[in-house]
Amino acid sequence: MFKYTVKRLLQSVVTVLTVVTIVFLLLRMLPTDYYFTEDQLMKFSEQQRTEQLEAAGLLDPVPEQLFRFYGQLIQGDLGESRRIQNGVPVTDVISKKFGISMQLGLISVAISLVVGVGMGVMQAKHKDRILDYTGTAYTVFVNAVPPLVSYSLILLFGSRILGLPSMYSSRNAGASSILPIVCLSLSSIAWYALWTRRYMIDELNKDYIKLARVKGMSNKEIMVKHVLRNAFVPLAQYLPASLLLTISGSLLAERFFSVPGMGPLMTDAISRYDTNIVQVLVILYAALGIIGVFLGDILMMIIDPRITLIDKEGGAR
Amino acid sequence: MEDQKKDLETVNEDELFHFVEYSPDAAETVSYSEYSYWRSVWQNFLKKKSAVVLSIVFIALVIFSFIALAIGKYNYQELIPDSTKSFIAPNAEYWFGTDNIGRDYWCQVWYASQTSIKLALIVALGECALGITIGCLWGYVRKLDRFITEVYNIITNIPVIIYMTLIALMIGQSFEIMAVSLILFGWLVMARNVRNLVLMYRDREYNLASRTLGTNIWRILVKNILPYLISVIILRLALSIPGTISMESTLSYLGLGLDINTPSLGILLRNARSYFLDYPYLLVFPAIIVSVITITFYLIGNAFSDASDPRNHV
Amino acid sequence: MTNKVSKTLALMLATGVVLGGCSNGGSGGGSSAGGDGNEINDLVIPKLATRELETFNILYSQRNEDFENLTNLVDGLLEHDSKGNLVPALATEWGTEDNGVTWTFKLRDGVKWVDMNQNEKADCVAQDFATGLEWVLNYHKNQSSNTSMPIDMIKGAEEYYEYTKSLPEAEAKALTAGEGSKFLEMVGIATPDDHTVVYTCRTAKPYFDTLATYASLYPMSQAMVDELGGADAVAAMNNENMWYNGCYTMTEYIQDNEKIFTKNDKYWDTESQRFDTVTFKMVESNDVAYQLFESGDVDYVDLTESNVKTISGDKNHKFHNYMVDALPLKFSFQFHWNYNKNKEDGKPDVNWNTAIANESFRKSLYYGLDLTNYLKRFNAIDPFKVENNYYTMKGLVSTSDGKDYVKLVHDKLKLGESDGNTPIRLDAAKGNEYKEKAMQELSAQGVTFPVGIDYYISAKSQTALDSANVLKNAIESSLGNDYVQLNIKTFVSSLSKEVATPRVASFIGSGWGADYGDPLNYLAQLIVDDDNAYYATHYENINDVQETPATKELIAQFKEYTALVEKADAITDDLDKRYDAFAEAEAYLIDHCLVLPTNYDMGYCLTKFNIHDKMQAPYGICNDKLKNIRSSADGYTVDDMKAILAE
Repeated sequence: MFKYTVKRLLQSVVTVLTVVTIVFLLLRMLPTDYYFTEDQLMKFSEQQRTEQLEAAGLLDPVPEQLFRFYGQLIQGDLGESRRIQNGVPVTDVISKKFGISMQLGLISVAISLVVGVGMGVMQAKHKDRILDYTGTAYTVFVNAVPPLVSYSLILLFGSRILGLPSMYSSRNAGASSILPIVCLSLSSIAWYALWTRRYMIDELNKDYIKLARVKGMSNKEIMVKHVLRNAFVPLAQYLPASLLLTISGSLLAERFFSVPGMGPLMTDAISRYDTNIVQVLVILYAALGIIGVFLGDILMMIIDPRITLIDKEGGAR
Repeated sequence: MEDQKKDLETVNEDELFHFVEYSPDAAETVSYSEYSYWRSVWQNFLKKKSAVVLSIVFIALVIFSFIALAIGKYNYQELIPDSTKSFIAPNAEYWFGTDNIGRDYWCQVWYASQTSIKLALIVALGECALGITIGCLWGYVRKLDRFITEVYNIITNIPVIIYMTLIALMIGQSFEIMAVSLILFGWLVMARNVRNLVLMYRDREYNLASRTLGTNIWRILVKNILPYLISVIILRLALSIPGTISMESTLSYLGLGLDINTPSLGILLRNARSYFLDYPYLLVFPAIIVSVITITFYLIGNAFSDASDPRNHV
Repeated sequence: MTNKVSKTLALMLATGVVLGGCSNGGSGGGSSAGGDGNEINDLVIPKLATRELETFNILYSQRNEDFENLTNLVDGLLEHDSKGNLVPALATEWGTEDNGVTWTFKLRDGVKWVDMNQNEKADCVAQDFATGLEWVLNYHKNQSSNTSMPIDMIKGAEEYYEYTKSLPEAEAKALTAGEGSKFLEMVGIATPDDHTVVYTCRTAKPYFDTLATYASLYPMSQAMVDELGGADAVAAMNNENMWYNGCYTMTEYIQDNEKIFTKNDKYWDTESQRFDTVTFKMVESNDVAYQLFESGDVDYVDLTESNVKTISGDKNHKFHNYMVDALPLKFSFQFHWNYNKNKEDGKPDVNWNTAIANESFRKSLYYGLDLTNYLKRFNAIDPFKVENNYYTMKGLVSTSDGKDYVKLVHDKLKLGESDGNTPIRLDAAKGNEYKEKAMQELSAQGVTFPVGIDYYISAKSQTALDSANVLKNAIESSLGNDYVQLNIKTFVSSLSKEVATPRVASFIGSGWGADYGDPLNYLAQLIVDDDNAYYATHYENINDVQETPATKELIAQFKEYTALVEKADAITDDLDKRYDAFAEAEAYLIDHCLVLPTNYDMGYCLTKFNIHDKMQAPYGICNDKLKNIRSSADGYTVDDMKAILAE
């Protein structure tokens, strides 16, 4: 197991490095004009523009920039933001933001897990009855309406009818987090419900369940001890990754409610050519994603002892 | 008994077992009745009345989008902005009212519906084709596993917005480009689902047997494994349609969506966002159509998915 | 019955608004001047999320989005009053005795630098202005931000900039403006005592004092630099460690969420009326802001298109009487023709280039194009409020008898007065006449009709697309689609990279924001053979037009215009004469339709503070300095605003 972990860890490091290198190169393909606002492009002379880019080191040959970047990475220097907050180390920018995203995200995952899995179980139990249809209707509607619209509706009804604050405020964090959390949970509840139901129904058709029934086990016991446990295995694989990646926040939900989190950061950084921020975010998300998958595999193994990661080939994922 | 054992020990193993020539006829020969997988699927599907009705609803919607454009009083290509007619609520002249610059909304909504349905279908089918092919190879061919896993890791970990920005800048924005790029990033989920299932079924005894009988890879994949995947594939397909529509609207929000002169439901919804407080009809009509498309698809998909599970067959 | 209910509801809602306002007012009536007990003490203003602050260093920033924050935190030499006049800020008096070569500013006594919690740090003295300018001109400290105007105007600035650029980074960052420094030796700035700053210009710059409202000449304390620990720390400084001398200090800063400005009790202008706190809330869109206004969470909102339509169309709407003109953007928009256009494949678009070089063609657009519907996109209710006939922004400068500079242009163009129904310069008959003439002349030169006009808009912006569609309709219906045809195309994110550089647009709509108070700032953008002339080199590409029989006249006209501008700029001793000569050049430019003025941008808003009390600064960074602003928790009605404007 230990050897396997180390091997996989090394593989992951290679993957993360490949990813960030590709992103680094892709970013260099963007026109450097992105570094300036349209207004600045208008007011700057050619020379002034060149000199600003030069000062930021963006005009050096790409391989040179890349090696400098690797060098800094090895020293643990992640660089400074240029446009999001000029001159401030990227780590400071991120450290101010990730907490809030994670906080909202974790609450939302917790809610989704409880509500979503609960809903899926109920649906499977009452398959083809009114409860199942209600659940399906919810899933369908949530998926049917693009978040752009559903978030607007939540914002509207939440603030007008329920009188909830429509803007996140650190002084009133509890109440003002409700609407963003609702938005975040909306689709993940549907996701958990959908797949729980699906896997449970698949599981219910299996022979061992019939046997269990014949044995005279109570319905509840069958559901919880056998069906849910087995149905949860494929879901468990995604759980650690989704927990870890709550750090990345949500672009739309955070924008809409002015949550000062990580969600809009990537988009903003790309559109403002803040390459250091983009690179660090990519490393962070890729690393967390990969760790998440790894933890997911382990979790799956714990829940379902039949699964083993180390086979003859040295372990498929 | 003793003799037999002796015989076995003396004969060479190679003589005992040998690959038979692959014969399509022999492979088809079954002892069971005239079972045809797809016919059973179809029969099971037809048993679900609601699903049949919804399929008809969807087809009717597609056909109606053409009729609607034909019978509408305004032609989409010839819409003329007129500020005196802005925000007129639906009436006899403007069946869906007018938008913020006084253009008929009816023809815009239906035109956009066609675009969106076309895009969603193309992307869904493309995702499927690419996702299943790669997923099967990924799961079945052990040599490719490391490589495809690595590619998968790399692609999923690079933010879509970086690709989309680059594509929009380098290649441009149009329906075709949008469709191709959504397919190129959309196959991942499908491929992963398929791969995981293929891994499960790959080493089942009947496949081992089939392999031993010299059946080639494609045949095993298509005939033996794929039927087990159909239900998951169809579910994924059904979910991909609303996925495409909301992805498209989110990308439009960021200015990375379709060419602005090609209205899609995503774009209409995005625009309506800023008007719906005062003029809800601008949101309601496209939202209803999006919902109809996605809901019918989802339910048809679910029904088909149940029908296609061979375990539910006779 | 239903009617009654809805009325009650409306009444309740209206009360809700008032109550919301009151709760905002807090204790109420505590403020000093002219109070009727109804002022807001804690003002809350929504700002679009895209306007987030990027830096706290005012010397480095070049964005209006930053200045609207920073101008409340740091003061410079001069500021504006609500009528647009230059008034004292840190300098009490200023002037020049040699027609604008040397400028002396006398500083106020007792100005303090404070920290976020308003603990005194140091006195703000003349030396701080030297430190500030040194910072700006030091390549390694400010990365060439804000250098263009000082380099253009101040003696030795360019040399010092080049000098610092030649130094190694660490060495340059260690430079100061202290006594005996290289900076004081090289650059035309002197601080004879703690209360005097003297600038020496390269040549006579009669408008140099207007630069004193801009960030390039703002002060910085060397003691702060030392306290923070050097140049890098200053670049990365934040609200918690920076020094303030402005009317507020920023006591809370949560990026993408909110900023709280708290009244600075150590501020020099103790007489001024200020809010106890001002909060900027970052919102996703104006729709969200509108909802916040309705719930009483913010005190101002810019109205969207549909808001305007609904509120103006419904006499019983709770905000019907509260919908007032917002302040116009400080830009005068015009269409800049591209005289050397390429097609998308990079080959010259001969058809367009020939057509636009023809004066009759341009004049047919000048007279024949009815922009009324296009103007409605900027002001749906009264489109002629935003009608624009000049190139320079109105209100930039005025003559000694108080006449706005653009009025001079107006008179020289012999334009009539608006009748409130049609645009002033619209003359369909004349337009038609020129059209016939252009078709005749151009057909002979092999131009095919309709002439395709390629217009590029941002792919992100539905508003731009709607406006473009309206414009297309306006152009084709007023001039005939047998004559011209507008093709709407898109760019993804960079107008300059995707449109201007490859020269693919037939024209680009643009507005210039003034940097300093002189018409030269506008007019110099269109002169020929000057790399700094932004519009001429980037949008109109006039310098690259090959002289042919078709373009001969056009080139001659630009040369004539350039000569007129240079002649006007040579007049430095009499501002009235100078402005008159500039107006002559501008009238020439517009009369030959070398650019086509189109519109201003002024929408509607709901507000609980008097926006007309804000500083009216056509240039500089003081526009959003929130001092001496009256407020009313009930909000301002249309009548209130009329009375205020009549004052």
